[in-house]
Amino acid sequence: MARKAKPKAGGFVTTTVEVEGRTETRIVEVPAFEPAPWTTDTPLHIVGTRVPRMDAHEKVNGRARYTADITRPGMLHAVIVRARIARGHIAHFDASAARALPGVYDIMGPGDAPAKTRLFGTEVLYHGQPVAAVCADTLANAERAARAMAISYNHLPFAATFDDAAAPNAPLVKPAGNFAPQSPVVITRGDIAAGLAAADIVITREFRTPVQLHSALEPHGACAEWEGDRLTVWESTQGIFRTRGDVARALDIPQSKVRVIKDYMGGGFGAKNGAGAHTYVAALFAKRMNRAVRCLNDREAEQVDSGNRPATVQRVTMGAKKNGTLTAIQLSADVPLGISGWEGGPAQIYHELYACPNVHSEERFAYINASGMQAFRGPGYVEGAFGLEGAMNALATALRMDPLALRRKNFTKKDPRQGRPYSGNALLACYTEGAERFGWNAPRAPQSGRVRRGVGLAAQVWPTGGGPPSYAHVRINADASVDVLAGTQDLGTGARTVLSQIAAEAIGANLSHVRAIIGDTEHLPYAGNSWGSMTTPSVGPAVRMAAMDAQSQLFQAAAAMLDTTPDMLDARDSRITVRDTDRSMTFADVCKRLGNVMIYGKGSRGPNPANTAINTFGVQFAEVEVHLDTGIVKVLRIVAAHDAGRIINPTLAESQLEGGILQGMGYALTEERILDRRLGMVMNPSLHDYKIPTMADVPQIDAFFVAGADAAANHTGARGIAEPPVIPTAPAIAAAVADAIGAEVLHIPLTPWRVLAAVPARH
Amino acid sequence: MQLTVNGRLQRVADPQGTLLDLLRDDLALTGTKLVCDRGECGACTVLLDGRTVYACLTLAAACDGTTITTIEGLGAVDGSMNDLQEAFITHDAAQCGFCTPGQLIAAHDLLVRNAAPSESAIVAAMSGNLCRCGTYPKIVRAIQAVAAARRESSATSATPGVPRGA
Repeated sequence: MARKAKPKAGGFVTTTVEVEGRTETRIVEVPAFEPAPWTTDTPLHIVGTRVPRMDAHEKVNGRARYTADITRPGMLHAVIVRARIARGHIAHFDASAARALPGVYDIMGPGDAPAKTRLFGTEVLYHGQPVAAVCADTLANAERAARAMAISYNHLPFAATFDDAAAPNAPLVKPAGNFAPQSPVVITRGDIAAGLAAADIVITREFRTPVQLHSALEPHGACAEWEGDRLTVWESTQGIFRTRGDVARALDIPQSKVRVIKDYMGGGFGAKNGAGAHTYVAALFAKRMNRAVRCLNDREAEQVDSGNRPATVQRVTMGAKKNGTLTAIQLSADVPLGISGWEGGPAQIYHELYACPNVHSEERFAYINASGMQAFRGPGYVEGAFGLEGAMNALATALRMDPLALRRKNFTKKDPRQGRPYSGNALLACYTEGAERFGWNAPRAPQSGRVRRGVGLAAQVWPTGGGPPSYAHVRINADASVDVLAGTQDLGTGARTVLSQIAAEAIGANLSHVRAIIGDTEHLPYAGNSWGSMTTPSVGPAVRMAAMDAQSQLFQAAAAMLDTTPDMLDARDSRITVRDTDRSMTFADVCKRLGNVMIYGKGSRGPNPANTAINTFGVQFAEVEVHLDTGIVKVLRIVAAHDAGRIINPTLAESQLEGGILQGMGYALTEERILDRRLGMVMNPSLHDYKIPTMADVPQIDAFFVAGADAAANHTGARGIAEPPVIPTAPAIAAAVADAIGAEVLHIPLTPWRVLAAVPARH
Repeated sequence: MQLTVNGRLQRVADPQGTLLDLLRDDLALTGTKLVCDRGECGACTVLLDGRTVYACLTLAAACDGTTITTIEGLGAVDGSMNDLQEAFITHDAAQCGFCTPGQLIAAHDLLVRNAAPSESAIVAAMSGNLCRCGTYPKIVRAIQAVAAARRESSATSATPGVPRGA
């Protein structure tokens, strides 16, 4: 059981928050009170139920307004012109022909944008880099003008692969150098040499993973409009406040003068965490022309220059005793980041999933002349799991051991990096229930014929504690309807629904009276980015606390009306009852008698428990069919068992599992950005050539949750779940393919030619 | 030229772009989405004279005298929904919702042509409509549920779920 920190209300404390594998220390204000946690035994009526997604009506009748749907009076359209070389300088820029075209309002080229936007210099660092922009009365006119711009370049040599960038005489990728500042990143525990020496068996493998593109169907985009010195930006973003900060910093204006609005959003998956070139272009043109301006990526720009999951090469050495006990895990990884990004490599999961005393990783991060990486759903862990879990499966084969038994053998009861207890960990139950529903131990028919079946599995761990700062307000209107206000955003995950459920439960309201208002920096209290599967565990507790505060005020008013004391009152379905009596009032009765009083509850997310690891765990099983003559892999079945603490809405959470599994399946089988090494150019920037899964690719999916509330993680008992299902998907599928053909394929995606090349000659 | 969109006659002067431009920019029917702009994803699927087309690949000028149904015309003008839209909600077949209008039009068309589609018929009809959130399993279930419910009620009710524009 984790120890709860007991900080004093009103003061400030230091707490740690894990964001996508990075641990951040934060100083946060201690909430006025810390609600008692909802435990597994707490009777709840709305939280935990399969409420339909509360914003689904707008989505199915076409009325949901996305950033691309925003129009403003007199709005102009902006188009970004992108570099057609991988490295060099702009030698000559002539926009006169473009400027003379009908409908063209304004053009920005080299030197025309403020330095802090980092736009439109003369140096080109990658193919697809923004080099100029045009705005016109219509999108067609803007596109025509963009094509009419005459730009010539001086070419310089470039590096399009890790090896090219790391070579002794490599061209200079960018002025700051070819390696990220922290590279190489070395993480170590124990004594790796001793661990390898102590092993009865040692295996070594080299795994390769591709660049995966987010491919959100709604492209990055912004619409900007100034009113005097105040700027409003409609942006398709996972972080309205981060976008506001980016815009304020880049344009050198106070944050209070910038309003960022995000209503509906067509997917983000990690690529939409702040302002981008499109945002600054829209805002700058809007200022210069004194008109609203909208700037959207087209599909090619979206696939080329809006972020990606970087490729990796992972050399893994793993040692174990004959009984399967791990003695050593060693990773050496190369990660080409693109022209920017951070040191988010595959190593973390190697250190976190198993109880191995000796773990050593070394990751090298090189810049290459290609668009920069961005977080992509489970960043680092998805890449790392392919290597770690691939090595575990290879080790099981070498040990002639059941891969599930090998994982049980190395189960860790504590966070193996720091020895902290977990807030909750039901991974063993996931193994048991997943194996049972999959039929892992069922006898299998001998394989023959040209189509072979195989089964495999992989596990996952992901930091999902969330944390402060995050604030929420809950107000009860004069007609007893309830507004939940939080400056968070719903990417399509279901945050509106989940936060409404938490508020309705905590205040005792009928859910149909509750509405979540999110996605607007002007009127809503701060919440962080919707990344790292953090929204539910970060914002949920703040919403619950705000709802409790509002309920307490409502109860004080009602107590006088019901001739009792507040502590004798209960609320459910928007009705207040006096305990052990038949006296009651509806919320509406109370509010009517109060008149136009607005009850306003405030809540904030308290600090995380000290010295506690908060993670989501899970395992996935795959069954595949492989055609020995074509190398085509068909995934037949996925069983996914995850432990994410309390599930606020099982239907929505299962949708996250299914969606994550399908993105993981694309990563395993078909998705790979092709960057031509000689041109430095993306060769498949379309949804035809970059293949995400279609309905025809969907296997039978049985995705479910084990365990109940995690009362030690936070007082709602919920952890995050959006990213974890991606993590074990590719290694489980690869293990099933290896089982089917009798040989490992260490390079994803498992394209037919890679599989064919691996099929042993005996077949 | 003139055309009928969601049951309403529209007169349009000299349209230059695609049907998608006309719907979104001239008629403010933004429910139909632009994603790939080249017929790869199905997000802009609408009904043209009762058949599905990609609005991004259909020239507006070629639509003179036609009848178009978009997502906004699938239910009633007041925003109330048909059974397919209801089923998409019940089965959680929309996550971010960006592909959903195209999915619904494609699903509607399937059920008009085949009242009792097998799962493989659903997959064949729907696999031109991409979804990055991965709602496919839920879409299949929603379509199956509507097909079953319509068959059950077809004895008593004449033409359920036919949009005004079809």
